[in-house]
Amino acid sequence: MQVKWKAQLKALLLLMLTAVLVTACGGGNGGGSKNDTGSNSPGNTAKKEEEKVKLSIWHNFAGDDLRARTVRSFIEKFQAEHPEMELDAQAIPPDGYRQRLSTVAAANEMPDVFFTYAGSHSTEFYKAGLIQPITDIARAHPEWKEKFFDGAFTPYEFEPGEIYSAPIGMSATSFLYYNPELFEKYGLQVPKTWDELVHVINVFNENGVTPIALGNKAPWVAQSTILGSLADRVTGTEWFLKAVKQDGAQFTDPEFIEALNYFKQLVDLKAFQEGANSIDNTQAEQYFIQGNAAMMIGGAWAVTNLAASASEEQLAKIEITTIPSIPGGKGEPNTISGGPGAGFALSSRTEGKARELALELIYTLSGPEAQKAIAESNSLVMYDTEIDETKVNALYNKMFQLVKTVGVTPVYDAYLSSEAAEVINNGLQEIMLGGSVESVAQKLQAAQARAVAE
Amino acid sequence: MTQVQLRNKGFPAGLRLFAALLGRAALLGYAALTLYPLYWLFISALKTNEEFFQRPYSLPKQWMTDNLARAWDLGNMGRAMGNSAIVTLSATALTILLGILAAYVLSRFEFRGKKAVSALFVLGLLIPIHSTLVPLFILMKQVGMLDTYWALIFPYTAFELPIAIFLGVAFISAIPKEIEEAAIMDGCGWWGVFGKMMMPLCLPVVATISIIAVLRFWNEFSFALVFMNSQAMKTLPLSLTLFSDGFGTDYSLTMSAMAIAVLPTIVIYLILQEHIMKGMVAGSVKS
Amino acid sequence: MYASSKNRRFIAIALLPGLAVFVLFAVVPIFWSVYYGFFEWKGIGAARFIGLANYREILHDPIFWRALKNNLILVASAIIGQIPVALVLAILLKRNRWFHRLVRSAVFLPMVLSTVVVGLIWGYMYHPQFGLVNAALEMLGLDRWTRAWLSDPKVNMYAVSIPINWSNIGPYMVIFIAALSGISPEIDDAAAIDGATGFRKLFSVTLPMIWGTVVVCLVLCISGSLKAFDHVIVMTGGGPAQSTELLATYMYNNSFHIYRYGYGSAVSTMIILISAILIVLNRLITRRGGM
Repeated sequence: MQVKWKAQLKALLLLMLTAVLVTACGGGNGGGSKNDTGSNSPGNTAKKEEEKVKLSIWHNFAGDDLRARTVRSFIEKFQAEHPEMELDAQAIPPDGYRQRLSTVAAANEMPDVFFTYAGSHSTEFYKAGLIQPITDIARAHPEWKEKFFDGAFTPYEFEPGEIYSAPIGMSATSFLYYNPELFEKYGLQVPKTWDELVHVINVFNENGVTPIALGNKAPWVAQSTILGSLADRVTGTEWFLKAVKQDGAQFTDPEFIEALNYFKQLVDLKAFQEGANSIDNTQAEQYFIQGNAAMMIGGAWAVTNLAASASEEQLAKIEITTIPSIPGGKGEPNTISGGPGAGFALSSRTEGKARELALELIYTLSGPEAQKAIAESNSLVMYDTEIDETKVNALYNKMFQLVKTVGVTPVYDAYLSSEAAEVINNGLQEIMLGGSVESVAQKLQAAQARAVAE
Repeated sequence: MTQVQLRNKGFPAGLRLFAALLGRAALLGYAALTLYPLYWLFISALKTNEEFFQRPYSLPKQWMTDNLARAWDLGNMGRAMGNSAIVTLSATALTILLGILAAYVLSRFEFRGKKAVSALFVLGLLIPIHSTLVPLFILMKQVGMLDTYWALIFPYTAFELPIAIFLGVAFISAIPKEIEEAAIMDGCGWWGVFGKMMMPLCLPVVATISIIAVLRFWNEFSFALVFMNSQAMKTLPLSLTLFSDGFGTDYSLTMSAMAIAVLPTIVIYLILQEHIMKGMVAGSVKS
Repeated sequence: MYASSKNRRFIAIALLPGLAVFVLFAVVPIFWSVYYGFFEWKGIGAARFIGLANYREILHDPIFWRALKNNLILVASAIIGQIPVALVLAILLKRNRWFHRLVRSAVFLPMVLSTVVVGLIWGYMYHPQFGLVNAALEMLGLDRWTRAWLSDPKVNMYAVSIPINWSNIGPYMVIFIAALSGISPEIDDAAAIDGATGFRKLFSVTLPMIWGTVVVCLVLCISGSLKAFDHVIVMTGGGPAQSTELLATYMYNNSFHIYRYGYGSAVSTMIILISAILIVLNRLITRRGGM
């Protein structure tokens, strides 16, 4: 029995080692050549014309949703139109995208073109000298640049006159979705002022309906969807921009404390369902669409998510508007928080023919055709385009039309340093658990002050 | 055994039987509880997104086997599974080979620096792997090892060796030395002793280490995410996260992908479990 | 124990490959990471040497201490919830009849699932409105006990520890079975003749015989609990308001989310130091046996 075991084990081990050597060598060679793409090719390829230009692009449109497929199709089209180029396109799952990008950034091995978010994400890359401007595209296609909404390039204009990316999405984060049927059932109108909102919340609570569905497990949700817009109504946009720069305003100012107190009021009124901090936003959206909650405050992504999982009739029932106004606030009432979405950036190490092709690729992905296609994939863009209404669902249409009529105010985490954003995200969760408004404001002020001082 | 004890203490037969049945029922209950989540995973995989949210606990109204096919295609799971298999098997083989060898040396021999080596391996147990992501990435980049199977095989092995050695030493220390001493007196070299005697005796611990290692490597995410660039080299856990985009998750596809990913591990466990039992039966007769 | 020149060669060749792989791919990176702890670095761009400033900040960082406390809760919960249960199950399920095999497989199964799956499933079970846990409590008439298990800072750390224990019992049970099978049946017979049965046998005979393995499992348990990451990240992300933050998740967030790579490295160095201290303590307490 022992002899038999020994022989079998030896054979098994030998087999495995052989398999390893064979495949690892094969895999290694195949992997090795692809690996060179980002690092050392661009300069050399200019000399040898027969050799293909190598280009690498990273993005996180890896899923099955319409927008992801749209973006990937444009990349494929570009690849087909340029046989002289070898394109290494990586679709990385969004969950791991940031981690992977951070790791290659730490090793200074960025891909030629990569998807980056507005705000601290792209700012860090700029400060580290890892990206170069794409202004050449704007010079070659001036009408394209004109058609972007106001402010589309602000977060990407790190130097006056030079843009570093063009947004292919619009971040719109604070829509008030509501279920008219539930409102009718209890004889209520959708609230336009804060007092109306309080009244509506109380009536719903008395009748066992959750007033506002919230899924704040990933803590950016409450900050991005509610606080940004709510606070702007109280403090005004100018105050916020000054506080971000720590130039004449601080987060411990009374305006901001007042804004946080309005949020606290929502918590105290039990506007959200219990345990909202352990439910993720997809689950909260489902909770809402199934008629368990009367309202939901969320971003444009909610429409994309719901389109994938709810029926047309359910979607058609939902109405959309802006959150109510605050009495005596310094900000404009009819606004949503939002701003330019993410876009593609160009690595500072790309040069020569590769750079030309990279710029063309970026234009393909953010040009008029792409913007229209993305808008038609149930995803807002910051570009003035018309869409074919039959291609999108009813709710998206309502949202698309609404966006053209409202003002846009900043989203907090697009302007705060990443550390300060974490602080306010966690702070809102603290407030939801009964924490003190003043202490959260102080922590936020300290974090942002530190970031500005660097 | 328990029956004998109870009889010796004078319990009547009926009560003994009842106690035995109660014990068995309790164990079965525990087993059912632990199996429930797996059952839930499989029925969720076969539902539409809508049904997943509306009726999370009931059997699917429509058995959407389509989900499995879609998850398989979109996630390129065939290729991913192949990659995972290669990396997992190789790393496991390497871990066992290097680990048992080292464990044998550490438990039977004395030499200078032995304490230092032992302490070094213990240190390996304490390391949170995420802190080594960037240094390892830089290291591999310089050596040109990225995007190869070795990029995963070596770190996986390195981090599993401490456990393998720990278990190996504990196991080997319990084996009496007389057999080896006899073999040495017969003129067998160390390699002979190791190959002919130790390895077969170590089968239970080899199987144990294998199960733990295989599961660790099969489900490992962070290293695979960062060290493997090209689509063709991706391992299975990466395809599982494909269906959530940071703003929303397609649960039915995610559950399907997970259900598919789980099947091979269940099969491997059942196979290895047999070997552990056989090894143990052989082991207990050895004296 | 033997040591002669022929033996030395064997020792070297047998030990070296394992040692080499281990040092190159585990030890060197970790020392590198410790080195980063002395810098202020955003992960991209230049790094600034700041000596012990990061470590001083850690000592005053309330979140670090909260995370440490959470980890210690996990350690205690694991030592109580995993080892004894695994041992008892191993003893009960040693035999090879179909029933025992079935239950053993069931116990081990959670380990087979990836931590993402486990986290997702338990996240659902703890759902405040639709979760199984609250539903079961209501069915049993214990409505008062229902709560938002993962949100409420008073209970969420304990709630999180249950799936962790649940998953990890399997491997320890398997390890114990392998160890128990090393006890020859003659000892069983001798014990029976001497009249040692049941609990007395457990404590006086069985436990001392497998004590080496028990110590090993304790060490694995402690070190594993201090490194815990996956389950918590999936179930709560460390929240809400960092109430379930662990040392490893805190390190991860600092390094990859807010670009404080130097600080994150310092945190990971602390993890190693604290683990080392606990393990040394463990060795002192369980002095019999071991490597």
